Amino acid sequence: MNSISVFAGKELLDLRRNKVMWVLTASLAIAVLISVVVASLDFRTQMAAYDLYVNQLKASGSTVIPAAPQLFPLQMLRGGFEYIEIIGALFAVVVGYGTIARERFRGTMHLILSRDIGRVSFAGGKLLGIGVFWAVIVGAIVAVAAVSVSVVGTASLTGGDAFRLLIAGSVSWVYLMFWSAVAAGLTALMRRPSSALILALGLWLFVVLIVPQIGDTMDPDNQVPGGLFKALAIQKSDEVAVLAHFSTFESARNALEVTSVSKLFERIAFAFVGIKDKYNQQGFAFIWYAMSRYTWSILAMTVSATVFSLVASTRTNLLRKAS
Amino acid sequence: MTSFAISTHGLTHRYGTKVALKPLNLDVATGEIFGLLGHNGAGKTTTVSLLTTLLRPTGGTATVAGHDIVADARGARSKIGYLPENVQFYDDLTLAENLRFFAKLSGIPKPDARIAEVLGFLDFEGHDHERVGAFSKGMRQRVGIAQAILHRPPVLFLDEPTSGLDPEGVRTLRQSVVRLNAEWGTTIFMNTHLLAEVTRTCTSIGIVRQGELVHHDSLAATLGEYPTEQALESAYFDTAGSAA
Amino acid sequence: MGVVARHELLASRRNRAPQLLVGMFVGMVAVSSFIGWLTQTTVSGIYGQVLADGLTTQPNPFVDVVPLFFARNTVIYVVMIGTLMAAALGVQSALRDRKATVADLVLTRPVPVRALLAGRMIGLGALLAVVIAVSSVISWVSISVITGSALGVDGSLRLAAFGLLTWLLLLGFAALGVLGGLYVTRETSALLAPFVTWAVIAFVLPQLGTAARPVSLLNPVASVPQTSGVFHAVSYVTVPLSITEHFKTTSSAILEGSSGGFPLASLAAVAAFTAVLVVAVVVTSPSRLSGEAGE
Repeated sequence: MNSISVFAGKELLDLRRNKVMWVLTASLAIAVLISVVVASLDFRTQMAAYDLYVNQLKASGSTVIPAAPQLFPLQMLRGGFEYIEIIGALFAVVVGYGTIARERFRGTMHLILSRDIGRVSFAGGKLLGIGVFWAVIVGAIVAVAAVSVSVVGTASLTGGDAFRLLIAGSVSWVYLMFWSAVAAGLTALMRRPSSALILALGLWLFVVLIVPQIGDTMDPDNQVPGGLFKALAIQKSDEVAVLAHFSTFESARNALEVTSVSKLFERIAFAFVGIKDKYNQQGFAFIWYAMSRYTWSILAMTVSATVFSLVASTRTNLLRKAS
Repeated sequence: MTSFAISTHGLTHRYGTKVALKPLNLDVATGEIFGLLGHNGAGKTTTVSLLTTLLRPTGGTATVAGHDIVADARGARSKIGYLPENVQFYDDLTLAENLRFFAKLSGIPKPDARIAEVLGFLDFEGHDHERVGAFSKGMRQRVGIAQAILHRPPVLFLDEPTSGLDPEGVRTLRQSVVRLNAEWGTTIFMNTHLLAEVTRTCTSIGIVRQGELVHHDSLAATLGEYPTEQALESAYFDTAGSAA
Repeated sequence: MGVVARHELLASRRNRAPQLLVGMFVGMVAVSSFIGWLTQTTVSGIYGQVLADGLTTQPNPFVDVVPLFFARNTVIYVVMIGTLMAAALGVQSALRDRKATVADLVLTRPVPVRALLAGRMIGLGALLAVVIAVSSVISWVSISVITGSALGVDGSLRLAAFGLLTWLLLLGFAALGVLGGLYVTRETSALLAPFVTWAVIAFVLPQLGTAARPVSLLNPVASVPQTSGVFHAVSYVTVPLSITEHFKTTSSAILEGSSGGFPLASLAAVAAFTAVLVVAVVVTSPSRLSGEAGE
């Protein structure tokens, strides 16, 4: 256990010294901030358009006033969570890769492995260090998100909102750990660290961008601009009835989506934060009932990735020359 | 009875079908400075990698400080220090940070006093807060020795320790090795392809040729057999077998 | 220059890691038509069901679809995979010599550095051309199979024009990768720099100009810049630099004859992006070519 904490401490020191990491995490935080600003400005634009419309209606003597667009502050974080989903995962890959590659490139591996340390101390300690790192970063990003929603979005957050953010932050941590662990495992496993990085980036591309994109493409409603059912002037109740005839296609599409850890992360985070309308302003029991399967799945994926990383970090693998 | 710091019986290593080390039977007595001479590719680094448990032997057995290198690899590791050829460090970290890390890995809970002691021993004070990335080759080699002896290992392995050093660096390193042996009683196993290295520092000599130990004797006996440097040199070239 | 270009092709062929991305790109182009077909079949099925249930009197929205509609997903695969593939190839190309520290051996030969760098870009350009040609042939064949008749002259020419546009965009990203490999010391950072630039171009800039969310930018149709308010003002700065959005605009004009946006201006933006980066590579100082690459 002692050498695990030594590696964890060293990993944190390394990450703190690494300027690239600072640039990356700062840019992630800025991207989240930008998306809140954009969402808030977008809402103001909508409000202005609404006010204009209402004034025109009043001027024309109408007494029927349409409902004003409603602001749900946490919904402004949609872009922010999408950035964690896409760019956060990319950075997590780089962090996981770097932790093993640094030692292998430097040739410090021999100094470490000729010492009396346990079988999993090296990889375990590294992952523990990364875990602490991501906890700090996610904590900071959630804080940036909360503050920017309050300040830029001029919304007041309740205790319940804070709790929802905490859950979404925890899921973000699990998600980012998945990517770091996978990349660290691949870097230990492959002979050339740079091949491991490209493989990990390929995996990132596939899981984060391609699979969800295929899922979206396969959504029949996405095939016609404005939505198929809208184009055919079909009510929501009829839409459900019609789609029931195509349940195999729909379940295949859903199955494809839930194989992607990114899609799982997105669904859970969007549900708890209330970004998805279906779960907005709903109680925790309701959301948990719908999300428990996905939550267990994403946890299982991250645990598997961690085990993979530990198992791949054998002395033989780590000491191989990076030819 | 002599106690052996290093003892091997038929220790062998193959890379696939290529034999890197033919069955090696070698005993190095406690307190010796043993020099293993050989040309590049003769099997020196393979031998050290096996004895430092970085490689697993494909045959035979060996003990280091009484610990079997396979059955009790962790025990062996706790008794050795190792300086690889072309040692690398964490360039972004300071000297103190690098050493603190390696000291903790070697199980020294409060390492600062030990680090100061070791740096004092090596006459290498005053650089604690400098980043290792800015160090010269000679300074890095001293950091290398420092990390290897932090935990006062009874056995120290040095792989081509003077490679790439200037004459001043070579002299400093030799002095450190001799003092370590004399003052701390450390047994030293040193790989080199430089004849002068061995005759000036070591107490016993082995010569390895194409994976096989072809000569092993004390320095005194070896020098008795080859009294002039010229005689020894031609013996080295004959035994070590200049493939070129 | 020819020697360098040929060496570039050979070395890239031997380096298996970026080939994974090449394989993914060609593979996804091949699969995308199939996915398009599967979805279209399902949509037609849904339409049939809706009609049979008497729920609509609208015409089938898919009747007027042009054959090249099935290539529209390729647009997004170029933006997602193709650009990153090109950047990875570029980075590997620049780092190859530095990692092997052979740059000094090459630089002491009587060859002007600009010719060396130009040769490298020509080699990368040729490599990309081959990859794009293969994926275009795959698209042509699969679209012909799906629609049940060979793609006509007009369609084939449009597909070829789309291939050229793709080549132009990817050459720019390859140059971006080479620049990363030349200017950034550590390998990880060198690979990361073009990836981050890509993320900024593909997600952050368009979001600033259009208020579109990151995931919605994975749609093959370009987001429309807002015409009023703050976003309109910001879009003056961000729109010219949103190269992947320009690529989408020009692509829909070429493939589906869509009249959205300003396809010619967008084409000019893509061309300018690539020209600037390629020139930046060629005028790089010789000192950048050597120096061992760290982790």
